[in-house]
Amino acid sequence: MFEIAKHLAWLTLWRRKTRSMMVIIMIGLSLGGLLSIQGLYDGMVTHMINTTIRSDSGEISLYAKGYRLEKSLDHRLTPLLHIKKSLSCIEGINAYAIRLQQEGLIATAHKSRGATLKGISLKKEREFGQFDTFVTKGTYSFGKNGKEALIGSGLADKLNLSVGSRVVFTAQDASDEINAISFRISGIFKTANKSLDENAVFVSMEKMERFLSLRESATQIGLRINETDQIAKIQKALQRSFPDIKVLRWDELYPLLIQMQDIMKVFNWVSYAIVFTVAALGIFGVMLVSVLERIREFSIMLAIGTPYIMVRDQIIMEAVFLGIIGYIAGAVLGWLALLYMSTAGVDLRSFEAGLEMYGYSAIMYADIRLYYFLQAFFAVFFATLLSVIWPLRVLKKIKPILIIQGKML
Amino acid sequence: MKLVNIYKTFYPDSPKEVKALTNINLTFEKGEFTTLSGESGSGKTTLLNIIGGLDTATSGQIFLDDEEISAYSEEKMAKLRLHDIGFIFQAYNLIHVLTVRENIGFIMKLLKFDDKEIDARILELASILKIEDILDKLPGEISGGQQQRVAVARAVASRPKFILADEPTANLDSKNSERLMEMLRTLNEKEHVTVIFASHDKYVLEQSKRIIVLDDGVVIEDR
Repeated sequence: MFEIAKHLAWLTLWRRKTRSMMVIIMIGLSLGGLLSIQGLYDGMVTHMINTTIRSDSGEISLYAKGYRLEKSLDHRLTPLLHIKKSLSCIEGINAYAIRLQQEGLIATAHKSRGATLKGISLKKEREFGQFDTFVTKGTYSFGKNGKEALIGSGLADKLNLSVGSRVVFTAQDASDEINAISFRISGIFKTANKSLDENAVFVSMEKMERFLSLRESATQIGLRINETDQIAKIQKALQRSFPDIKVLRWDELYPLLIQMQDIMKVFNWVSYAIVFTVAALGIFGVMLVSVLERIREFSIMLAIGTPYIMVRDQIIMEAVFLGIIGYIAGAVLGWLALLYMSTAGVDLRSFEAGLEMYGYSAIMYADIRLYYFLQAFFAVFFATLLSVIWPLRVLKKIKPILIIQGKML
Repeated sequence: MKLVNIYKTFYPDSPKEVKALTNINLTFEKGEFTTLSGESGSGKTTLLNIIGGLDTATSGQIFLDDEEISAYSEEKMAKLRLHDIGFIFQAYNLIHVLTVRENIGFIMKLLKFDDKEIDARILELASILKIEDILDKLPGEISGGQQQRVAVARAVASRPKFILADEPTANLDSKNSERLMEMLRTLNEKEHVTVIFASHDKYVLEQSKRIIVLDDGVVIEDR
């Protein structure tokens, strides 16, 4: 009997081709748009998180206790040999980067401002987060004698610096003496991590150690862990191994990113509610009109003994066909849009300044995740079922004989 | 089928109250070819609808093979209509999206007949009703007379115990009316189907073996 209902539903759906096509196009376009927006929103946040992890925090960062409250060299990780040895024993850590950081004053011949000097290893940073890909001008190098530095794009703009410019950095060393060091700018980097782009100057670790009169010390060790489900486990293992060190995950270091992710989820849910309502109302309208205009036909079917359940199934199937075809159209449209946006990206360079203010990249890349399509499927399916409740109520109330005799409706 | 003390009142206890049937007591034997006759408003269609379970009596009982069917639930009555009763309506009432072939086989499909048996029956009826060449057409593509013949084929396809026909010739010309009656007679004689008409068409009355005349909801003649 279900087969007959399915057959009738399919034939009936195409009896009014234009009307059915309009609903399918409506669902398809709204769903395609929703999937595109969802992928783009997620891509924006994912990009921010990814950039932050690659350029700074890693999945986990180690700090000396108290350092994050008072950024003094008194709170530093030392000796490094012991820590490095322990890190190499923990499974799941793919790379790590050791950084020695001090805050101070950066000055040119005309301007000066507060900045952060970071001693790093270029090789390690490349392994850690492909930092070389963030260099937009100049070269990824500290020069032959390590006398050159990489500077954040925001900081370079504020100081009117370009590749080859000379700067002087002044800061307190480990013995609280004021020291100064001069560098030539070898490259300018842009990470979309606002705190780095607007404050950081990277120099070689050896140079930094000499400048601060320190050896075998770090203010931060960032760790890369490929398996995301291992992060919490490795964090616990590290904390057990180093009870005097603060072991923090990226989301604990950057809670704002998690908040942004949550906000995007809310946006997505609101978008879903809109598409859900549009789909439900569209199908509801079509189904109600379709039932009302065929009320005589249904009455005849019921009169000659067709079970109500079969007529009900036929109407549900009609709505389901509409919903599923609309869903397929929307999913294909959304997938193509996401595919394009995830490879070519969406170029919003004309809004670059505004986007960078919030830490977004000017070229946005969308994410494509299977769950978008599953969520959308269930939303459309649920909307479809909801949309036939009223038409079925209408059908349930009819008295076939009165309809046939023209005494009802 | 036996009808005992059947009354039907529309809008009871209201100023618009209409007594459509009063104290109807009738028995229909297997293989009868009967017409319920009378003027418009005499109650013949109401009685036919009650016999077919499309409408319910205000009071009284209906028995089929000694089982009281007037107490059946909606669902059970629908099952009875599907299995035992074939309806022919004045307006042909075919399913527009199905071909003639599918319309004829519709009830047999619902009753889960074997596909081969359905096909054979469709061809048999198409041959009797001379509609072989329109089997793959949609109802909208054929004439009114052809649609009525298709409706007849649909009603009789599953070999129900009863065929109830409400003014089946009202929209047909004399040639098509004759053909329809001839066909129903053949089915009645060959397959012993009980046929009950509600009609005031003279030709139908002439063809009937038994005529029950109603006037104002009361049986005034049964011959």
